[in-house]
Amino acid sequence: MLDDGQLADLRAATLEILETVGVHVPSERVRREYEAHGALVDHASRVVRLLPDLVLSAVARAPRTYTMGGRTPDFDLLLDGSALYVATDGCGIRVVDRETGRVRASTTADVADMARVSDALPAVGFYWPIVSASDHPATAPVHELLASYRNTVKHVQTETVMGARMAGHAVEMARVLAGSEAAMRQRPPLSSLICAISPLAQDDEGMEAALVFAEAGVPVGIMSMANCGSTGPATIAGNLAQGDAEIIAALVLVQLVHPGAPVFHSMMPGVMDPRTGGFLTTSMSGEAAYGAGVEMAHAWGVPTLAGVFGTDALEPGGWQVAAESAVNLTLCGLLGAETGSGMGLLDACTLLVHEQLVLDADLHERVRMDLARLDTTPAAMALDVIREVGPRGHYLYQPHTREGLRAMRFSSLTGRRAPDGTVVEPRDVARATVDRLLLEHHPEPLDERVAAELARIVAAADAEAVADGGGGGA
Amino acid sequence: MTDTMDPAPTFSVTPPLEPIRSTRRVRFLDDDQLVRLQEATLTVLEDVGVRFPNDASLRILGDSGCGVDVATQVVRFPRDVVRRAMALAPRSYTLGARNPAFDLVLEEGTSYFTTDGCGVAVIDPDTGLERPSRKEDVARMARVADSLPSIGFMWPTVSAQDCGATSQLHEMDAAYTNTVKHFQGMVMGEAAARFAVEMATVVAGSREALRDRPAFSNLICSIAPLAQDHAGLESALVMAEAGIPVGFLSMPTLGTTAPSTSAGAFVVGDAEVISGIVLLQLAYPGTPVFHSIMKAHADPRTGAYVGYSIDSGIARYAPVEIAHHWGVPSLAACFGTDSTAAGTWLAASDVALDPLLGGLAGPELVTGLGLDRTYTLLYPEGIFLDNELYQRARHSLMRMEIDDETLALDVIANVGSGGHYLAEEHTRKHMRTSLKRGLEHDLVNGRYRDPIEVARERAAWVRANHHPEPLETAKAVELTRILDAARASMG
Repeated sequence: MLDDGQLADLRAATLEILETVGVHVPSERVRREYEAHGALVDHASRVVRLLPDLVLSAVARAPRTYTMGGRTPDFDLLLDGSALYVATDGCGIRVVDRETGRVRASTTADVADMARVSDALPAVGFYWPIVSASDHPATAPVHELLASYRNTVKHVQTETVMGARMAGHAVEMARVLAGSEAAMRQRPPLSSLICAISPLAQDDEGMEAALVFAEAGVPVGIMSMANCGSTGPATIAGNLAQGDAEIIAALVLVQLVHPGAPVFHSMMPGVMDPRTGGFLTTSMSGEAAYGAGVEMAHAWGVPTLAGVFGTDALEPGGWQVAAESAVNLTLCGLLGAETGSGMGLLDACTLLVHEQLVLDADLHERVRMDLARLDTTPAAMALDVIREVGPRGHYLYQPHTREGLRAMRFSSLTGRRAPDGTVVEPRDVARATVDRLLLEHHPEPLDERVAAELARIVAAADAEAVADGGGGGA
Repeated sequence: MTDTMDPAPTFSVTPPLEPIRSTRRVRFLDDDQLVRLQEATLTVLEDVGVRFPNDASLRILGDSGCGVDVATQVVRFPRDVVRRAMALAPRSYTLGARNPAFDLVLEEGTSYFTTDGCGVAVIDPDTGLERPSRKEDVARMARVADSLPSIGFMWPTVSAQDCGATSQLHEMDAAYTNTVKHFQGMVMGEAAARFAVEMATVVAGSREALRDRPAFSNLICSIAPLAQDHAGLESALVMAEAGIPVGFLSMPTLGTTAPSTSAGAFVVGDAEVISGIVLLQLAYPGTPVFHSIMKAHADPRTGAYVGYSIDSGIARYAPVEIAHHWGVPSLAACFGTDSTAAGTWLAASDVALDPLLGGLAGPELVTGLGLDRTYTLLYPEGIFLDNELYQRARHSLMRMEIDDETLALDVIANVGSGGHYLAEEHTRKHMRTSLKRGLEHDLVNGRYRDPIEVARERAAWVRANHHPEPLETAKAVELTRILDAARASMG
């Protein structure tokens, strides 16, 4: 997407922004950490500036590859660029109820259901709690984690745990799951994603959580969602430069305080609709920014979480959803993104319609096969079969045909016909798939002792919230 | 006074072409795989051969050192004959348009897309009901093709079934009278081919002009496995003699007319295409040709033809590299969903990656926007939806502008942290171009409209309003005269 000169220009712009403009850091504790490690801090304005040498030396400490652990080792994700692992989207707040068809607020049960569906779909590499556990308003993040770990053996990434205390609970859960401190550092079953606030500001609770995670060896990603024209410049390049500065400012702090901590870079910019001020996740002109973000992460020497699905469509299973989802997944796959997220939500990542995850998984499979290597072994070339059939014959009787057709991959959603011969809509097949998976798919349960310990940690978090007057939820 | 003023144009302006240009490439096959596939093709051509049910072709091939079995009509090609003939084929040439501004220079790095073809059924734009396709539909789609910058050249999107045996010539007529762009047909048989050459000569102005900037090219389908079509060969030889570019297209179906492995199907398809190109190069050295393989699948449960499988990317774009490895331009296969209706999830998920992967593979010519139900059914809005996917891919493959103005460091410094960009002059200046609105960004009362509805409206607007520069009257009259003559002689 970008040539070396363009990447160098963007990096120079990031360094200039960090040196001359700086980022707003509301947390005094975080500002003190910056200051202690050589950043230029103005406590009155709360702006932190970073000199290029400090940025470059700090980012150089970040590991280029590491492993995100699954609950079972078969689902470990090695982030070395040889594969792109894609997560569900998150964190939606509304659900189209499967029974009533009505839109309602999301609950812990929805997080659990979709964790089971995700567990069954090979396209889902790791799980973002797809919706908010809004039945536990004060402690939703840890309830989302508990529901996730109970219902999938895959790696879980949280994008809602904020604040040092909540992060401490999440780390404790990860430690219990891993079995030991050392195991957690080697194969962390949890990773976290923290959003910057555009333009050029940090969230105090987010950064405090980031430091807790980094200390424990839990991978930390920093995401920018700068909106071209409102919270970022009205040009794609300017928006990227600003977003990169936001991400790098935070990654620098993590590396200064906890050198070598696993981190990742996530550029998810939008484009403002000038008529509404809204954030458009997909637009013709904005698509290239997601691929550019992958290359910018790699130029800094860190893995990326790429924006690979995500749609502004309101209706599941329609033309717009597929039209908006496919291009970025392919581009980011070609560019060697290690991770991505975005399967299963609609309406700019806010609405869960269960079957959309199955439809997105089908698209994922198409892209995966598109980018696979063609088999040109002698058996696949089949010259002996071609000789035998010769001109104007057919291949139906050949044993080679029987074997080849069995190995052939077709979409599980398309080409289905009802007994009366009518075509069954892919969305209907996807809906039936969700129903079947929720009935039949029950992943390996948590060890009883681990499950009890996780529940105890969450109960403690609830009790804390009650003591604080926040309420523990339902 | 009025005599000195330029008259207002009486026709619609055809917007400039927007081909997909990309310096970026995806390699679907590595060098070793390309060599192995080409070696396999040479082996099949030499050992198994291809059936040529056409006396003139057998004579040309026999005279050039090929092994001809007169009884079976199977021709075996010594590999040095193949290599010598393929070396004669030009790598680059120009496809002419009625208006020279729309000529297409075929060179790697620029991909020109066409309308799809050749469908047989239409959702009538007035009644909304399905009916067989007619010449008027070809004319309507020629006007649509003329209006869309994504369309570089025109295929007969549907068949002029109301025109009997001369339907292919009527499709040409409908195109030439309704778009200024290049037309690529699928004319079969010697008689029809000679009339088609005559029509293209009229449009070009002379035989020399036709040879220099051919306003017509022709596509010939082989018959898998490993056979050519008699009428196709007749037409190909007539066209090549006149300097009209000819493409050979193989459509091997895995498991029925080709081995059930992709590599085996490519070998069968490549052997068919190369055998046709070799014939033309031996008969008319240097004749412009192009190469096309469009692999499909047989659904093992029904035997039905399935255009899209899970691995469509390799299926559709590996052949581009096979063509380029031979040193000839490629016609790649994009679009043509298996969805039975336009605007469905399947209609987008089947084809959404096509223009992106197509652009990354670097074919010179690419099919074909606008049909559903596996290349057979024309919905009025279909091509506008495909166009949206095309433009999305085109923008993704454009080079990003990175300079002082777009990096906007002074603006970023001015806004600082925690502010916003809404009041910046830079925002006012660039916002209009930073968001390229698509079908899904049409706002009414603060809500985005259904993109399918917007596409239908655009189709209706073009139908009512886009009327390209007409063909000169004398030429139009001449085309009609040729059509009358063709009807009299061909029925």
